[in-house]
Amino acid sequence: MQELTRGQKGKLTDIGVSDALDIALDVGSSGGGSLDISCFGVDADGKLSDDRFFVFFNQKSAPGGAIEMVGAAHGAKECFRLQLGKLPATVKRLIFTVAIDGAGTMGDFNASSVRVIVGGNGVARYAFAGSDFGQEKALMMFEVYFKEVWRFAAVGQGFNGGLSALLKHFGGEEATKAAAPPPKPAPAAAAPPPKVNLGKVTLDKKGSKSTVNLAKGGGVQQIHINLNWDNPNAGKKVGLFGLGGTVPAPDLDLGCMFRMSTGEKGVIQPLGERFGSKHALPYIFLDKDDRTGASSDGENLYILRPDLIDMVMVFALVYEGTANFANVNGRLTIKNGGQEIFIPINNPDPRRTFCSICTIANKNGAIEITKEERYFSDHEDADGVYGFGFRWVAGQK
Amino acid sequence: MAVSLSKGGNVSLTKTAPGLERVLVGLGWDARASDGSAFDLDASVFLCGESGKVRSDSDFIFYNNLRSTDGSVEHTGDNRTGAGDGDDESIRVELTRVPAYVHKIVFAVTIQDAETRRQNFGMVSRALVRVINQDNNDEIARYELSEDSSMETAMTFAELYRHNSEWKFRAIGQGTEGGLSALARQYGVNL
Repeated sequence: MQELTRGQKGKLTDIGVSDALDIALDVGSSGGGSLDISCFGVDADGKLSDDRFFVFFNQKSAPGGAIEMVGAAHGAKECFRLQLGKLPATVKRLIFTVAIDGAGTMGDFNASSVRVIVGGNGVARYAFAGSDFGQEKALMMFEVYFKEVWRFAAVGQGFNGGLSALLKHFGGEEATKAAAPPPKPAPAAAAPPPKVNLGKVTLDKKGSKSTVNLAKGGGVQQIHINLNWDNPNAGKKVGLFGLGGTVPAPDLDLGCMFRMSTGEKGVIQPLGERFGSKHALPYIFLDKDDRTGASSDGENLYILRPDLIDMVMVFALVYEGTANFANVNGRLTIKNGGQEIFIPINNPDPRRTFCSICTIANKNGAIEITKEERYFSDHEDADGVYGFGFRWVAGQK
Repeated sequence: MAVSLSKGGNVSLTKTAPGLERVLVGLGWDARASDGSAFDLDASVFLCGESGKVRSDSDFIFYNNLRSTDGSVEHTGDNRTGAGDGDDESIRVELTRVPAYVHKIVFAVTIQDAETRRQNFGMVSRALVRVINQDNNDEIARYELSEDSSMETAMTFAELYRHNSEWKFRAIGQGTEGGLSALARQYGVNL
């Protein structure tokens, strides 16, 4: 039996399958919620255009017997019986999924597997476990798809948003991609480094840190923070027959709460027009308020005298135009001299619109940048955790 | 008239486009739909001499060095997520201006941080490289990365090479362990 790893693809003929095969699923979790196993039979675009081919506990077979959910078989808890020749020409991909209903995430999964069975014999297996995953509540485990010939794929990718995110992926509202931005001109060539530098630092996980040392000998380099995001709503209309006007573009606000080494503290953000100052304390300033993500360079925050700060907490706030951070692909880039640090906002909490992205702390002349990506309902909530101690009142732009 | 190449396949540019002067090699992929770290694919180029290696580090064109010294090869910049329609990263090659010492131009595709992010080409949707005749915008050839090379994370995709007075294009699809740094060293770059 061939052991498959995540991402692996191959032709069904390579594992001895011609038309009929069984997919045996053994999935277990210690998380407490119940598990829903389904098969989505989608078209070449990945959409469930014919929902008779969504096979699940309330619809256990697809027309013509192409897909049948047969229950326990081959020593597994759930099994799908497939006859590929009976699928209509429009159904090109079969994706086997599991979603958690209730408590727990994929991180709680026990040793699980998807096995391909032909004529009663196991020919391939994709084994996976909780350690492969994080906060996902729904998982695309395995796929049988047609591209010139029938193929298989060990997918192993999921959604934190659970079953609803999974359904959306297969044909709920599809966010149209914004028009491709014009290619950026090549930046002016800097003096070439003595050795080729492959360095790109990405702070991907919460708690990841990067330290930059402030230049010695009097020259202090500014820290440039850029927040950019996409507008997935470009061109979309709302209301009956799209007559309600266009969906507002997402407006994300970049800001920060700061405390200087002298103890002086404040907030910089577009709300209340607190754009900061280039020429006086705190020497932190925001360049503009981009209200739509349409500006190709987003919003920029500059810390001109990082040697004078004690702590800065950089945040982004969803002001309007999208219910949450989930589909705007928010990303923060921090530049300090030659070094660049990239922080993707990649674990959005759909219930909250204030995100503390990272902290920048001065530890005896070394600047330590730590990814936070923590979500709060508002500024006051976040302040409670970071301890700046401001007095907050409601405002409006 | 685009040829869809598989590993090892090749295309004669002379037959396809007589008098070809400029090509665009475009890398595209779908931004990640599932949750987790973004897929950051990087296109790179090695301008190799007769030895099969670069003559100097400036002949390694990639996200930190976007332009060859004479400008005949230019990279449009780093796309870190695949967001946006069309080619996500492109490399323009003006074949008529490529210096005589360059015998072949090798194109590589790598996944940034593949090891720490535990990613491979098989996980990325619609990752492909295509060669476009910039004189008339015809697509000459394309190579889809995720079917044949599902387990790879770094790959020499193809090369343009001189044959007498012509340029030819060969699809290689050869995977390498060790990411971009290993590939770069293989082609003689100092890291």
